[in-house]
Amino acid sequence: MPILEVRNLIAKYSARGPEILKSVSFDVEDDDFFAIIGPSGAGKSTLIRCINRLVEPVSGEIFFEGQDVTKLNSRELRSLRRDIGMIFQEFNLIDRMSVMDNVLSGRLGYTGTIRSIFRAFKKTDIQHALALLDRVGLIDHVDKRADELSGGQRQRVGIARALMQDPKLLLLDEPTSALDPKISREVMALILEMARELKVPCLCNIHDVNLAMEFCNKIIGLQDGVKMFDGPTEDMNEERLNEIYAMEVL
Amino acid sequence: MNSVASPSDQARRDQAFESLLLLRRKSNVRRSAYYFVLLALVVWSIQVTIIDDTDWERMGSLGAVLKSAGRFIGVDIGLFPSLLVPAIETLVIASLGTILGVVICLPATWFGALNITPFKSVTYPLARLMMTLSRSIHEIVWALFFVAAVGLGAMAGIFAIAVRSVGFIAKMSAEAIEDINPGPVEAIKATGANTLQVVIFAILPQVLPQILGTVIFEWEINIRRSAILGLVGAGGLGLVFFRQMHTFNYHGVTSVIVAILALILIGEVVSHYVRKSII
Repeated sequence: MPILEVRNLIAKYSARGPEILKSVSFDVEDDDFFAIIGPSGAGKSTLIRCINRLVEPVSGEIFFEGQDVTKLNSRELRSLRRDIGMIFQEFNLIDRMSVMDNVLSGRLGYTGTIRSIFRAFKKTDIQHALALLDRVGLIDHVDKRADELSGGQRQRVGIARALMQDPKLLLLDEPTSALDPKISREVMALILEMARELKVPCLCNIHDVNLAMEFCNKIIGLQDGVKMFDGPTEDMNEERLNEIYAMEVL
Repeated sequence: MNSVASPSDQARRDQAFESLLLLRRKSNVRRSAYYFVLLALVVWSIQVTIIDDTDWERMGSLGAVLKSAGRFIGVDIGLFPSLLVPAIETLVIASLGTILGVVICLPATWFGALNITPFKSVTYPLARLMMTLSRSIHEIVWALFFVAAVGLGAMAGIFAIAVRSVGFIAKMSAEAIEDINPGPVEAIKATGANTLQVVIFAILPQVLPQILGTVIFEWEINIRRSAILGLVGAGGLGLVFFRQMHTFNYHGVTSVIVAILALILIGEVVSHYVRKSII
Protein backbone atom coordinates (compact mmCIF):
# COMPACT_ATOMS: atom_id res chain seq x y z
CA MET A 1 0.00 0.00 0.00
CA PRO A 2 1.41 3.45 -0.84
CA ILE A 3 2.28 5.57 2.20
CA LEU A 4 0.60 8.58 0.63
CA GLU A 5 -2.36 8.58 -1.75
CA VAL A 6 -3.66 11.86 -3.10
CA ARG A 7 -7.04 11.77 -4.85
CA ASN A 8 -8.69 14.55 -6.86
CA LEU A 9 -7.12 17.29 -4.78
CA ILE A 10 -8.55 20.77 -5.34
CA ALA A 11 -7.18 23.84 -3.56
CA LYS A 12 -8.03 27.54 -3.64
CA TYR A 13 -6.71 30.49 -1.65
CA SER A 14 -10.09 32.21 -1.43
CA ALA A 15 -13.65 31.00 -1.84
CA ARG A 16 -14.17 32.89 -5.11
CA GLY A 17 -10.57 32.68 -6.29
CA PRO A 18 -9.22 30.49 -9.04
CA GLU A 19 -8.37 26.83 -8.43
CA ILE A 20 -4.67 26.51 -7.64
CA LEU A 21 -4.82 22.72 -7.87
CA LYS A 22 -7.25 21.17 -10.33
CA SER A 23 -8.03 17.62 -9.25
CA VAL A 24 -4.52 16.29 -8.74
CA SER A 25 -4.01 12.58 -7.92
CA PHE A 26 -0.84 10.57 -7.31
CA ASP A 27 0.71 7.92 -5.01
CA VAL A 28 3.96 7.97 -3.06
CA GLU A 29 5.43 4.55 -2.27
CA ASP A 30 7.53 3.60 0.74
CA ASP A 31 10.89 3.94 -0.98
CA ASP A 32 10.16 6.89 -3.26
CA PHE A 33 12.14 10.05 -3.65
CA PHE A 34 9.37 11.81 -5.45
CA ALA A 35 9.83 15.05 -7.36
CA ILE A 36 7.17 17.61 -8.19
CA ILE A 37 8.36 19.83 -11.01
CA GLY A 38 6.71 22.63 -12.89
CA PRO A 39 7.00 26.36 -13.60
CA SER A 40 6.53 29.02 -10.91
CA GLY A 41 2.89 29.39 -9.98
CA ALA A 42 2.03 25.86 -11.03
CA GLY A 43 0.84 25.00 -7.51
CA LYS A 44 3.82 22.98 -6.27
CA SER A 45 4.05 24.71 -2.88
CA THR A 46 0.29 24.57 -2.41
CA LEU A 47 0.25 20.87 -3.21
CA ILE A 48 2.95 20.05 -0.70
CA ARG A 49 1.29 22.19 1.99
CA CYS A 50 -2.01 20.39 1.53
CA ILE A 51 -0.35 17.14 2.65
CA ASN A 52 0.15 18.40 6.22
CA ARG A 53 -2.69 20.91 5.90
CA LEU A 54 -0.65 24.08 6.25
CA VAL A 55 -3.03 24.88 3.39
CA GLU A 56 -6.58 23.53 3.69
CA PRO A 57 -7.67 21.77 0.49
CA VAL A 58 -11.16 22.57 -0.81
CA SER A 59 -11.93 19.00 -1.79
CA GLY A 60 -10.31 15.68 -2.54
CA GLU A 61 -8.75 13.05 -0.32
CA ILE A 62 -5.26 12.58 1.06
CA PHE A 63 -4.57 9.18 2.61
CA PHE A 64 -1.47 9.02 4.79
CA GLU A 65 -0.92 5.44 5.99
CA GLY A 66 -4.53 4.77 5.03
CA GLN A 67 -5.92 7.62 7.16
CA ASP A 68 -7.75 10.50 5.44
CA VAL A 69 -5.79 13.63 6.36
CA THR A 70 -8.58 15.98 5.31
CA LYS A 71 -10.93 14.62 7.98
CA LEU A 72 -8.66 14.96 11.03
CA ASN A 73 -9.55 17.19 13.99
CA SER A 74 -6.91 19.58 15.33
CA ARG A 75 -5.49 17.09 17.83
CA GLU A 76 -5.20 14.33 15.22
CA LEU A 77 -3.74 16.86 12.80
CA ARG A 78 -0.95 17.70 15.24
CA SER A 79 -0.02 14.06 15.60
CA LEU A 80 -0.08 13.68 11.81
CA ARG A 81 2.24 16.68 11.41
CA ARG A 82 4.57 15.11 13.98
CA ASP A 83 4.95 12.16 11.62
CA ILE A 84 5.72 14.33 8.58
CA GLY A 85 8.96 16.29 8.51
CA MET A 86 9.19 19.41 6.39
CA ILE A 87 12.13 21.30 4.91
CA PHE A 88 11.69 24.79 3.48
CA GLN A 89 13.16 26.94 0.75
CA GLU A 90 13.99 29.77 3.14
CA PHE A 91 15.00 27.30 5.89
CA ASN A 92 12.51 28.93 8.31
CA LEU A 93 14.80 28.58 11.30
CA ILE A 94 14.33 30.61 14.47
CA ASP A 95 17.13 33.13 13.91
CA ARG A 96 17.56 34.20 17.52
CA MET A 97 17.75 30.65 18.89
CA SER A 98 20.79 28.40 18.97
CA VAL A 99 21.33 25.70 16.38
CA MET A 100 20.65 23.13 19.11
CA ASP A 101 17.32 24.69 20.12
CA ASN A 102 16.32 24.86 16.47
CA VAL A 103 16.96 21.17 16.01
CA LEU A 104 15.22 20.35 19.29
CA SER A 105 12.15 22.27 18.14
CA GLY A 106 11.60 19.29 15.83
CA ARG A 107 10.56 17.40 18.98
CA LEU A 108 7.83 19.88 19.99
CA GLY A 109 5.11 17.49 18.86
CA TYR A 110 6.43 14.95 21.38
CA THR A 111 7.09 17.48 24.17
CA GLY A 112 4.59 18.78 26.73
CA THR A 113 3.69 22.45 26.78
CA ILE A 114 5.22 23.12 30.22
CA ARG A 115 8.47 21.44 29.23
CA SER A 116 8.64 23.45 26.02
CA ILE A 117 8.14 26.77 27.86
CA PHE A 118 11.38 26.08 29.71
CA ARG A 119 12.99 24.41 26.69
CA ALA A 120 13.43 21.39 28.98
CA PHE A 121 13.73 18.74 26.29
CA LYS A 122 14.39 15.14 27.27
CA LYS A 123 18.02 14.02 27.57
CA THR A 124 17.49 11.40 24.88
CA ASP A 125 16.23 14.14 22.55
CA ILE A 126 19.35 16.22 23.18
CA GLN A 127 21.53 13.18 22.48
CA HIS A 128 19.61 12.48 19.29
CA ALA A 129 19.93 16.12 18.20
CA LEU A 130 23.67 16.05 18.81
CA ALA A 131 24.03 12.87 16.77
CA LEU A 132 22.02 14.39 13.90
CA LEU A 133 24.06 17.61 13.97
CA ASP A 134 27.21 15.50 13.84
CA ARG A 135 25.76 13.58 10.91
CA VAL A 136 24.97 16.75 8.90
CA GLY A 137 28.41 18.17 9.66
CA LEU A 138 27.52 20.89 12.14
CA ILE A 139 28.92 19.44 15.36
CA ASP A 140 31.15 22.54 15.75
CA HIS A 141 28.21 24.94 15.47
CA VAL A 142 25.87 23.54 18.10
CA ASP A 143 25.85 26.62 20.34
CA LYS A 144 25.90 29.24 17.61
CA ARG A 145 22.87 31.32 16.87
CA ALA A 146 21.09 30.12 13.73
CA ASP A 147 21.53 33.48 11.98
CA GLU A 148 25.32 33.18 12.23
CA LEU A 149 25.38 30.27 9.78
CA SER A 150 25.72 30.28 5.99
CA GLY A 151 22.82 29.26 3.74
CA GLY A 152 24.04 25.70 3.25
CA GLN A 153 24.62 25.29 6.97
CA ARG A 154 21.19 26.71 7.76
CA GLN A 155 19.53 24.18 5.47
CA ARG A 156 21.48 21.41 7.21
CA VAL A 157 19.95 22.61 10.48
CA GLY A 158 16.57 22.45 8.73
CA ILE A 159 17.28 18.86 7.70
CA ALA A 160 18.29 17.91 11.24
CA ARG A 161 15.14 19.58 12.64
CA ALA A 162 12.91 17.64 10.23
CA LEU A 163 14.66 14.33 11.00
CA MET A 164 14.37 15.04 14.72
CA GLN A 165 10.66 14.28 14.30
CA ASP A 166 11.38 10.64 13.37
CA PRO A 167 9.24 11.32 10.34
CA LYS A 168 7.52 8.67 8.24
CA LEU A 169 7.48 11.08 5.30
CA LEU A 170 9.56 14.12 4.38
CA LEU A 171 8.09 17.09 2.55
CA LEU A 172 10.69 19.23 0.83
CA ASP A 173 9.60 22.62 -0.47
CA GLU A 174 12.27 23.79 -2.92
CA PRO A 175 15.03 22.81 -0.46
CA THR A 176 17.84 24.12 -2.64
CA SER A 177 16.38 27.18 -4.37
CA ALA A 178 18.08 29.60 -1.99
CA LEU A 179 21.47 27.94 -2.39
CA ASP A 180 24.20 28.08 -5.03
CA PRO A 181 24.52 25.14 -7.49
CA LYS A 182 27.39 23.41 -5.71
CA ILE A 183 25.80 23.61 -2.26
CA SER A 184 22.44 22.63 -3.79
CA ARG A 185 23.91 19.36 -5.02
CA GLU A 186 25.55 18.67 -1.66
CA VAL A 187 22.32 19.36 0.22
CA MET A 188 20.24 17.19 -2.14
CA ALA A 189 22.79 14.38 -1.83
CA LEU A 190 22.68 14.65 1.96
CA ILE A 191 18.88 14.56 2.02
CA LEU A 192 18.78 11.55 -0.31
CA GLU A 193 21.44 9.72 1.68
CA MET A 194 19.74 10.29 5.02
CA ALA A 195 16.31 9.48 3.63
CA ARG A 196 17.64 6.15 2.32
CA GLU A 197 19.43 5.47 5.59
CA LEU A 198 16.35 6.15 7.71
CA LYS A 199 14.00 4.66 5.11
CA VAL A 200 11.90 7.82 4.86
CA PRO A 201 10.07 8.46 1.59
CA CYS A 202 10.37 12.03 0.29
CA LEU A 203 8.08 14.32 -1.66
CA CYS A 204 10.11 17.15 -3.09
CA ASN A 205 9.15 20.33 -4.89
CA ILE A 206 11.93 21.33 -7.13
CA HIS A 207 12.16 23.64 -10.10
CA ASP A 208 15.68 22.62 -11.09
CA VAL A 209 14.88 19.81 -13.53
CA ASN A 210 18.45 18.55 -13.64
CA LEU A 211 18.51 18.02 -9.89
CA ALA A 212 15.14 16.28 -10.08
CA MET A 213 16.35 13.94 -12.83
CA GLU A 214 19.53 13.18 -10.92
CA PHE A 215 18.14 12.53 -7.44
CA CYS A 216 14.53 11.45 -7.80
CA ASN A 217 13.09 8.15 -8.92
CA LYS A 218 9.62 9.46 -9.76
CA ILE A 219 8.40 12.74 -11.12
CA ILE A 220 5.07 14.46 -11.46
CA GLY A 221 4.89 17.55 -13.62
CA LEU A 222 2.44 20.29 -12.73
CA GLN A 223 1.32 23.06 -15.02
CA ASP A 224 -1.19 25.62 -13.83
CA GLY A 225 -2.56 23.21 -11.20
CA VAL A 226 -2.98 20.32 -13.62
CA LYS A 227 -0.91 17.15 -13.50
CA MET A 228 0.79 16.85 -16.90
CA PHE A 229 3.11 13.93 -16.20
CA ASP A 230 3.36 11.15 -13.65
CA GLY A 231 5.93 8.41 -13.91
CA PRO A 232 9.44 7.15 -13.24
CA THR A 233 12.30 9.53 -13.98
CA GLU A 234 13.43 7.39 -16.93
CA ASP A 235 10.20 8.16 -18.77
CA MET A 236 10.77 11.90 -18.58
CA ASN A 237 12.16 13.36 -21.77
CA GLU A 238 12.78 16.66 -23.53
CA GLU A 239 9.41 16.67 -25.25
CA ARG A 240 7.47 16.14 -22.04
CA LEU A 241 9.52 18.75 -20.23
CA ASN A 242 8.75 21.27 -22.93
CA GLU A 243 5.09 20.48 -22.53
CA ILE A 244 5.21 21.06 -18.75
CA TYR A 245 7.19 24.27 -19.06
CA ALA A 246 5.25 25.45 -22.12
CA MET A 247 3.92 28.51 -20.32
CA GLU A 248 7.41 29.70 -19.55
CA VAL A 249 8.53 29.27 -23.14
CA LEU A 250 5.65 31.39 -24.29
CA MET B 1 -0.08 74.13 -39.02
CA ASN B 2 -0.15 77.83 -39.64
CA SER B 3 2.42 79.64 -37.50
CA VAL B 4 0.47 82.93 -37.48
CA ALA B 5 -2.40 82.84 -34.99
CA SER B 6 -5.66 82.93 -36.85
CA PRO B 7 -8.51 85.09 -35.52
CA SER B 8 -10.35 82.01 -34.31
CA ASP B 9 -7.27 80.91 -32.31
CA GLN B 10 -7.10 84.34 -30.72
CA ALA B 11 -10.77 84.18 -29.74
CA ARG B 12 -10.33 80.74 -28.23
CA ARG B 13 -7.35 81.93 -26.17
CA ASP B 14 -9.30 84.96 -24.95
CA GLN B 15 -12.11 82.74 -23.88
CA ALA B 16 -9.74 80.42 -21.99
CA PHE B 17 -8.21 83.48 -20.34
CA GLU B 18 -11.62 84.76 -19.24
CA SER B 19 -12.68 81.45 -17.72
CA LEU B 20 -9.32 81.11 -15.99
CA LEU B 21 -9.71 84.57 -14.44
CA LEU B 22 -13.17 83.64 -13.20
CA LEU B 23 -11.85 80.42 -11.68
CA ARG B 24 -9.00 82.23 -9.92
CA ARG B 25 -11.35 84.89 -8.57
CA LYS B 26 -13.63 82.17 -7.20
CA SER B 27 -10.82 80.33 -5.45
CA ASN B 28 -9.46 83.63 -4.04
CA VAL B 29 -12.84 84.40 -2.54
CA ARG B 30 -12.98 80.93 -1.06
CA ARG B 31 -9.49 81.26 0.37
CA SER B 32 -10.30 84.64 1.94
CA ALA B 33 -13.40 83.15 3.49
CA TYR B 34 -11.31 80.36 5.06
CA TYR B 35 -8.85 82.89 6.49
CA PHE B 36 -11.69 84.99 7.88
CA VAL B 37 -13.35 82.03 9.57
CA LEU B 38 -10.04 80.91 11.05
CA LEU B 39 -9.32 84.41 12.38
CA ALA B 40 -12.82 84.68 13.85
CA LEU B 41 -12.32 81.33 15.62
CA VAL B 42 -9.02 82.47 17.14
CA VAL B 43 -10.51 85.79 18.30
CA TRP B 44 -13.50 84.01 19.79
CA SER B 45 -11.25 81.50 21.59
CA ILE B 46 -9.13 84.26 23.10
CA GLN B 47 -12.25 86.16 24.13
CA VAL B 48 -13.82 83.17 25.87
CA THR B 49 -10.77 81.59 27.49
CA ILE B 50 -8.41 84.46 28.29
CA ILE B 51 -10.33 87.73 28.38
CA ASP B 52 -13.56 86.56 29.98
CA ASP B 53 -12.13 83.75 32.10
CA THR B 54 -9.23 85.50 33.82
CA ASP B 55 -9.47 87.21 37.18
CA TRP B 56 -7.68 90.39 36.04
CA GLU B 57 -8.06 92.13 39.39
CA ARG B 58 -6.39 89.30 41.27
CA MET B 59 -3.53 89.24 38.77
CA GLY B 60 -2.82 92.94 39.25
CA SER B 61 0.06 94.67 37.51
CA LEU B 62 2.88 93.02 35.54
CA GLY B 63 5.15 93.55 38.55
CA ALA B 64 2.78 91.65 40.76
CA VAL B 65 2.70 88.78 38.28
CA LEU B 66 6.49 88.56 38.20
CA LYS B 67 6.59 88.76 41.99
CA SER B 68 4.16 85.87 42.34
CA ALA B 69 6.11 83.77 39.86
CA GLY B 70 9.36 84.72 41.59
CA ARG B 71 8.23 83.03 44.77
CA PHE B 72 9.12 79.71 43.13
CA ILE B 73 12.75 80.71 42.60
CA GLY B 74 14.88 79.05 45.24
CA VAL B 75 15.07 75.56 46.65
CA ASP B 76 14.10 74.34 50.10
CA ILE B 77 17.21 72.26 50.72
CA GLY B 78 15.96 71.08 54.09
CA LEU B 79 13.13 69.24 52.32
CA PHE B 80 15.39 66.96 50.24
CA PRO B 81 16.05 64.22 52.87
CA SER B 82 12.31 63.78 53.34
CA LEU B 83 11.88 63.43 49.56
CA LEU B 84 13.94 60.26 49.36
CA VAL B 85 11.20 57.87 50.44
CA PRO B 86 8.48 59.45 48.20
CA ALA B 87 10.95 59.43 45.29
CA ILE B 88 11.58 55.74 45.79
CA GLU B 89 7.85 55.23 46.11
CA THR B 90 7.33 57.02 42.80
CA LEU B 91 9.91 54.77 41.16
CA VAL B 92 8.28 51.68 42.65
CA ILE B 93 4.82 52.78 41.52
CA ALA B 94 6.16 53.28 37.99
CA SER B 95 7.97 49.93 37.97
CA LEU B 96 5.26 47.78 39.51
CA GLY B 97 2.66 49.60 37.42
CA THR B 98 4.62 48.80 34.26
CA ILE B 99 5.00 45.14 35.26
CA LEU B 100 1.29 44.81 36.05
CA GLY B 101 0.57 46.61 32.77
CA VAL B 102 2.63 44.01 30.89
CA VAL B 103 0.59 41.24 32.52
CA ILE B 104 -2.65 42.92 31.39
CA CYS B 105 -1.05 43.34 27.96
CA LEU B 106 -0.68 39.59 27.44
CA PRO B 107 -4.33 38.97 26.51
CA ALA B 108 -4.65 42.40 24.88
CA THR B 109 -1.68 41.67 22.61
CA TRP B 110 -2.74 38.13 21.84
CA PHE B 111 -6.28 39.24 20.95
CA GLY B 112 -5.10 42.40 19.20
CA ALA B 113 -2.71 40.88 16.64
CA LEU B 114 -4.73 39.97 13.55
CA ASN B 115 -2.58 36.98 12.64
CA ILE B 116 -2.98 35.17 16.00
CA THR B 117 -6.25 36.49 17.49
CA PRO B 118 -8.37 33.40 18.29
CA PHE B 119 -11.89 34.51 17.28
CA LYS B 120 -11.30 37.44 14.98
CA SER B 121 -14.79 38.93 15.03
CA VAL B 122 -14.98 38.97 18.85
CA THR B 123 -11.50 39.09 20.32
CA TYR B 124 -9.93 41.59 17.92
CA PRO B 125 -12.48 44.38 18.56
CA LEU B 126 -12.30 43.58 22.28
CA ALA B 127 -8.53 44.08 22.30
CA ARG B 128 -8.79 47.29 20.29
CA LEU B 129 -11.40 48.55 22.76
CA MET B 130 -9.06 47.79 25.67
CA MET B 131 -6.21 49.67 24.00
CA THR B 132 -8.31 52.69 23.10
CA LEU B 133 -9.91 52.89 26.55
CA SER B 134 -6.51 52.70 28.20
CA ARG B 135 -5.04 55.48 26.12
CA SER B 136 -7.95 57.87 25.83
CA ILE B 137 -8.47 58.22 29.58
CA HIS B 138 -5.84 60.37 31.28
CA GLU B 139 -3.68 58.80 34.00
CA ILE B 140 -5.02 61.35 36.51
CA VAL B 141 -8.56 60.24 35.74
CA TRP B 142 -7.55 56.58 36.06
CA ALA B 143 -5.90 57.45 39.40
CA LEU B 144 -9.07 59.21 40.63
CA PHE B 145 -11.03 56.11 39.66
CA PHE B 146 -8.69 53.74 41.52
CA VAL B 147 -8.40 56.04 44.55
CA ALA B 148 -12.17 55.83 44.76
CA ALA B 149 -11.99 52.05 44.33
CA VAL B 150 -9.10 51.01 46.59
CA GLY B 151 -8.51 54.17 48.65
CA LEU B 152 -5.60 56.61 48.94
CA GLY B 153 -2.07 55.36 48.53
CA ALA B 154 0.43 53.74 46.21
CA MET B 155 -1.80 50.85 45.19
CA ALA B 156 -4.21 53.17 43.39
CA GLY B 157 -1.20 54.68 41.61
CA ILE B 158 0.09 51.28 40.55
CA PHE B 159 -3.29 50.30 39.13
CA ALA B 160 -3.63 53.62 37.30
CA ILE B 161 -0.15 53.30 35.76
CA ALA B 162 -0.78 49.68 34.80
CA VAL B 163 -4.07 50.36 33.07
CA ARG B 164 -2.74 53.47 31.35
CA SER B 165 0.28 51.49 30.02
CA VAL B 166 -1.78 48.82 28.28
CA GLY B 167 -2.75 50.94 25.29
CA PHE B 168 0.72 51.72 24.06
CA ILE B 169 2.52 48.49 24.94
CA ALA B 170 -0.23 46.22 23.60
CA LYS B 171 -0.60 48.23 20.41
CA MET B 172 3.12 48.22 19.62
CA SER B 173 3.45 44.54 20.57
CA ALA B 174 0.44 43.49 18.51
CA GLU B 175 1.83 45.37 15.52
CA ALA B 176 5.23 43.71 16.00
CA ILE B 177 3.50 40.32 15.98
CA GLU B 178 1.57 41.22 12.84
CA ASP B 179 4.87 42.01 11.11
CA ILE B 180 6.69 38.76 11.89
CA ASN B 181 8.15 36.49 9.26
CA PRO B 182 5.50 33.75 8.83
CA GLY B 183 8.10 31.17 7.71
CA PRO B 184 9.22 30.01 11.17
CA VAL B 185 5.55 29.86 12.26
CA GLU B 186 4.85 27.49 9.39
CA ALA B 187 7.92 25.43 10.24
CA ILE B 188 7.05 25.07 13.93
CA LYS B 189 3.41 24.23 13.07
CA ALA B 190 4.71 21.55 10.72
CA THR B 191 6.49 19.80 13.60
CA GLY B 192 3.12 19.11 15.22
CA ALA B 193 3.47 21.86 17.82
CA ASN B 194 0.36 23.24 19.55
CA THR B 195 -0.62 26.91 19.47
CA LEU B 196 1.22 27.86 22.66
CA GLN B 197 4.37 26.12 21.45
CA VAL B 198 4.14 28.02 18.16
CA VAL B 199 3.90 31.29 20.12
CA ILE B 200 6.88 30.42 22.33
CA PHE B 201 9.17 29.08 19.61
CA ALA B 202 8.21 30.90 16.42
CA ILE B 203 6.66 34.21 17.48
CA LEU B 204 8.22 35.35 20.77
CA PRO B 205 11.87 35.08 19.66
CA GLN B 206 11.04 37.31 16.70
CA VAL B 207 9.31 40.06 18.67
CA LEU B 208 10.87 39.97 22.13
CA PRO B 209 13.58 42.63 21.59
CA GLN B 210 11.05 45.02 20.13
CA ILE B 211 8.52 44.41 22.91
CA LEU B 212 11.15 44.81 25.64
CA GLY B 213 12.24 48.08 24.05
CA THR B 214 8.65 49.31 24.12
CA VAL B 215 8.18 48.25 27.75
CA ILE B 216 11.31 50.09 28.88
CA PHE B 217 10.23 53.19 26.97
CA GLU B 218 6.83 53.00 28.66
CA TRP B 219 8.51 52.53 32.05
CA GLU B 220 10.43 55.75 31.47
CA ILE B 221 7.18 57.57 30.67
CA ASN B 222 5.54 55.96 33.70
CA ILE B 223 8.11 57.60 36.00
CA ARG B 224 6.82 60.97 34.79
CA ARG B 225 3.24 59.83 35.23
CA SER B 226 3.68 58.42 38.72
CA ALA B 227 5.46 61.61 39.81
CA ILE B 228 2.22 63.55 39.47
CA LEU B 229 -0.29 60.89 40.51
CA GLY B 230 0.13 61.96 44.15
CA LEU B 231 -1.83 65.11 43.25
CA VAL B 232 -4.97 63.01 43.49
CA GLY B 233 -3.75 61.00 46.47
CA ALA B 234 -2.13 58.08 44.72
CA GLY B 235 1.21 58.28 46.55
CA GLY B 236 4.75 59.27 45.62
CA LEU B 237 6.35 62.66 45.01
CA GLY B 238 3.10 64.17 43.75
CA LEU B 239 1.64 63.93 47.22
CA VAL B 240 4.54 65.97 48.68
CA PHE B 241 4.15 68.47 45.83
CA PHE B 242 0.49 68.83 46.71
CA ARG B 243 1.28 69.36 50.41
CA GLN B 244 3.98 71.97 49.74
CA MET B 245 1.62 73.85 47.44
CA HIS B 246 -1.12 73.89 50.07
CA THR B 247 1.21 75.14 52.81
CA PHE B 248 2.41 77.89 50.43
CA ASN B 249 6.00 76.62 50.71
CA TYR B 250 6.92 77.63 47.15
CA HIS B 251 10.59 76.77 47.56
CA GLY B 252 9.50 73.34 48.69
CA VAL B 253 7.46 73.00 45.50
CA THR B 254 10.59 73.75 43.51
CA SER B 255 12.48 71.14 45.52
CA VAL B 256 9.94 68.55 44.54
CA ILE B 257 10.19 69.60 40.88
CA VAL B 258 13.97 69.23 41.07
CA ALA B 259 13.54 65.77 42.59
CA ILE B 260 11.13 64.78 39.82
CA LEU B 261 13.58 66.03 37.20
CA ALA B 262 16.38 64.00 38.78
CA LEU B 263 14.21 60.91 38.83
CA ILE B 264 13.23 61.33 35.20
CA LEU B 265 16.86 61.84 34.26
CA ILE B 266 17.77 58.58 36.01
CA GLY B 267 14.94 56.85 34.15
CA GLU B 268 16.15 58.18 30.81
CA VAL B 269 19.72 57.08 31.42
CA VAL B 270 18.69 53.57 32.51
CA SER B 271 16.24 53.30 29.61
CA HIS B 272 18.90 54.40 27.12
CA TYR B 273 21.44 51.81 28.21
CA VAL B 274 19.00 48.94 28.62
CA ARG B 275 17.47 49.58 25.18
CA LYS B 276 20.90 49.78 23.64
CA SER B 277 21.90 46.45 25.13
CA ILE B 278 18.73 44.79 23.79
CA ILE B 279 18.85 46.17 20.27
